[in-house]
Amino acid sequence: MKQQFLVKSLLFAALILSASSCKAVEPENPQPQPVTYTLCNANATAEVQQLWAVLTSQFEKKAMSGVVANIDWNTREAENVYQWTGRYPALNVFDFINIHASRDVNKQGWLDYSDLTPVIDWFNAGGVVGCMWHWQVPANNGTNWTCSPGTEKEQTSFDASKVNDPSSDEYKRMVKDIDQVAGYLKKMQKLGIPVIWRPLHEAAGNTYDFKGGKAWFWWGAQGAEVYKQLWRFMYDRMVNYHKLNNLIWVWTSQVGDDIWYPGDDVVDVVGRDNYYALQYPLMKEYKALKEMYPNKLITLAECGNGDDVDMSLWSKIWEEGSRWSWFMPWYDYNYNNGTSDEHQFAGKQWWLDAFGTGLVIDRTEMQKLLAK
Amino acid sequence: MKRIGLIYIALLLAVSASGVERTILLGPKTIGRAWKDNIVLEPRHFMDAHAGDIVTVYNDNAKRTAQGAFQNPKTWQGVAPEYGYFGINGPFRMVLTEDILAIAREHGVAIGGHDYRIIQVTLSDAADYQETMVWNGPSVVMKDDWSANAEIPASSLASLRVGDGLRLHVSKVKAGAAAKLMDFTWNVIDPSVDGVPVGENGYTWYIYDDAPLLKLALAGTGGNVAMRIGGTGYKLDGIGIVRQVGEVSEDYSQAQRAPKEYVLQPGELFHGEKVYPLDWSGYMKLTAAPFQESTENDVLVISYTIDPQAKAAGITPQMSFRSPKTWGELTGAAEPIPYLLDGTDVVYMFDAVALDEVKTRGLVLAGVGFTLTKIELISAQ
Repeated sequence: MKQQFLVKSLLFAALILSASSCKAVEPENPQPQPVTYTLCNANATAEVQQLWAVLTSQFEKKAMSGVVANIDWNTREAENVYQWTGRYPALNVFDFINIHASRDVNKQGWLDYSDLTPVIDWFNAGGVVGCMWHWQVPANNGTNWTCSPGTEKEQTSFDASKVNDPSSDEYKRMVKDIDQVAGYLKKMQKLGIPVIWRPLHEAAGNTYDFKGGKAWFWWGAQGAEVYKQLWRFMYDRMVNYHKLNNLIWVWTSQVGDDIWYPGDDVVDVVGRDNYYALQYPLMKEYKALKEMYPNKLITLAECGNGDDVDMSLWSKIWEEGSRWSWFMPWYDYNYNNGTSDEHQFAGKQWWLDAFGTGLVIDRTEMQKLLAK
Repeated sequence: MKRIGLIYIALLLAVSASGVERTILLGPKTIGRAWKDNIVLEPRHFMDAHAGDIVTVYNDNAKRTAQGAFQNPKTWQGVAPEYGYFGINGPFRMVLTEDILAIAREHGVAIGGHDYRIIQVTLSDAADYQETMVWNGPSVVMKDDWSANAEIPASSLASLRVGDGLRLHVSKVKAGAAAKLMDFTWNVIDPSVDGVPVGENGYTWYIYDDAPLLKLALAGTGGNVAMRIGGTGYKLDGIGIVRQVGEVSEDYSQAQRAPKEYVLQPGELFHGEKVYPLDWSGYMKLTAAPFQESTENDVLVISYTIDPQAKAAGITPQMSFRSPKTWGELTGAAEPIPYLLDGTDVVYMFDAVALDEVKTRGLVLAGVGFTLTKIELISAQ
């Protein structure tokens, strides 16, 4: 007991001394140290480094505009924005959601990811290429494909923890799928195309939103530790095994889910997907993420009108204090196939407002920034 | 005279055989976005109804992506799988079954969905609709992979008219069964029939414009395939054309009235009638959207009328302001702070915690023993 008291007393004294010595050297108006944003892959290609330099130099000054493909492998939404505003967004994100139906692996398939034409055309026009992956696996009924975990017929019991069991069917499926996607990304690398790569998104689902909340994708269904193992497995397979050095790795936070964060060494950008995209809560989330991940770019990786509210105008979002690196409203299938007259997530007026701020980078401006 | 009398009796018999379509609800009732709105048809309308009778919802202002639903107000599930959700391209209908009647007589039936407005709801006898079978197979089993389809020849559909319904007679229905109605080119014939749920009683598609009929006509006549019916999880056994033949009653005396709808004026967050019953089940959720630029100078002014039965029931009418996330007190206090109601407007001022919460998530107005009539957001400046 006595010895413990002595140790505590010494510690307390050291703390006082250390605090007072810190105070003595503290400048009156401390200047924030400039943050260095570093890519996690030291072997990143020159094209990635060039894109990274633009993204980091523009961060908190301007936002890069982005759209996502209409489901999978096209630039349909970018054309919408062009029709509404006369300007193309800078970023087009493609989705590997339907790789099981790609004709290079499935003769009955309805699309062909091995045909890079949409990506090449977009890149050659000056656009930034992004890829995400709604990683579908066989559903429990054996016929459907899904990301949704569960025991229902159209859900999947696919167990992500089998990433640690090379003898399991799940492990083999994961390797096979990652290798297939890596093949497409490798083709892009050979063509000099850097890719903003956002896999395994929204892993925590609504675990932290309310009691009883849970992951809504299978890659989050086994919890944070398994998820991080899966992320690192994918990173290792793609970067170290396949030598993919053309990727900027984006992890998507559900806010308050730091224990799911895979780590600074395997993440370049922290994203947030938000469909309650009002200026005030967005500002709070941006600041929370910035504080939690001060050395990472912070991006609004998905956004749009939600069930409850319409997304705030970009001018309001920016005015409130959000400084997202880029934004990406979701696609509207009904609008794109002509069965709806108004875009469900972000329509003409929203885009006109966004470009009207003068603080949003379009494809033409991005081309100039990359050329510098 | 004798001859005229016989004709009169014959006419009466004809009318009584085909029945009368009675109005059970008068709108308008707006069913807005995101499945938030509904109106419950009262149980009394179904006490004398029979299986086979038909509820029709006449509507307008439907967006092209609008969906309707007939739901059990207790569980908010569809009263049958095929009524959980469906596209809207004109009036939509529900055929009552014994199972649905049991729900309707106990709880009523909620009409919900999104992006349309209910004008009027009617109840018709089964005899008001006559069906003619036009295709009797051979039956086609719709496989899990949606690859099967039944080819319906033009001759079977030749008598189809605008206003008619095309009823699918089905069997071996599995959970998640759905139908897709296509023209002869394999394109969906109307956006409202692209993967519609199919229940034990099949599915009936009512046609309200010429476009689908023109597509059918393009296939030619006779044995040419005019329509392909596909889907998953059911067996298609037959197709009938359903036509309405009944009379329409203009007696609205028994009709339920939808609550009066108001156009919101600037600053109004709600204007209408929202009952807070004596069982504490009433609440209203407000999103954070109207509060985005609010400051501590803003106040909420809430108008209401007190339920005259509250006192007799020993209940003190009151309301409280809650967080939508936790349902706890909006100010963060440990217990909800009740505002006891005496008939005068409630003026709610935000402290810093409450202001942050309404700007982040909105609020829930909970309470008992009153009818909410208006909520206004006013700047005290």
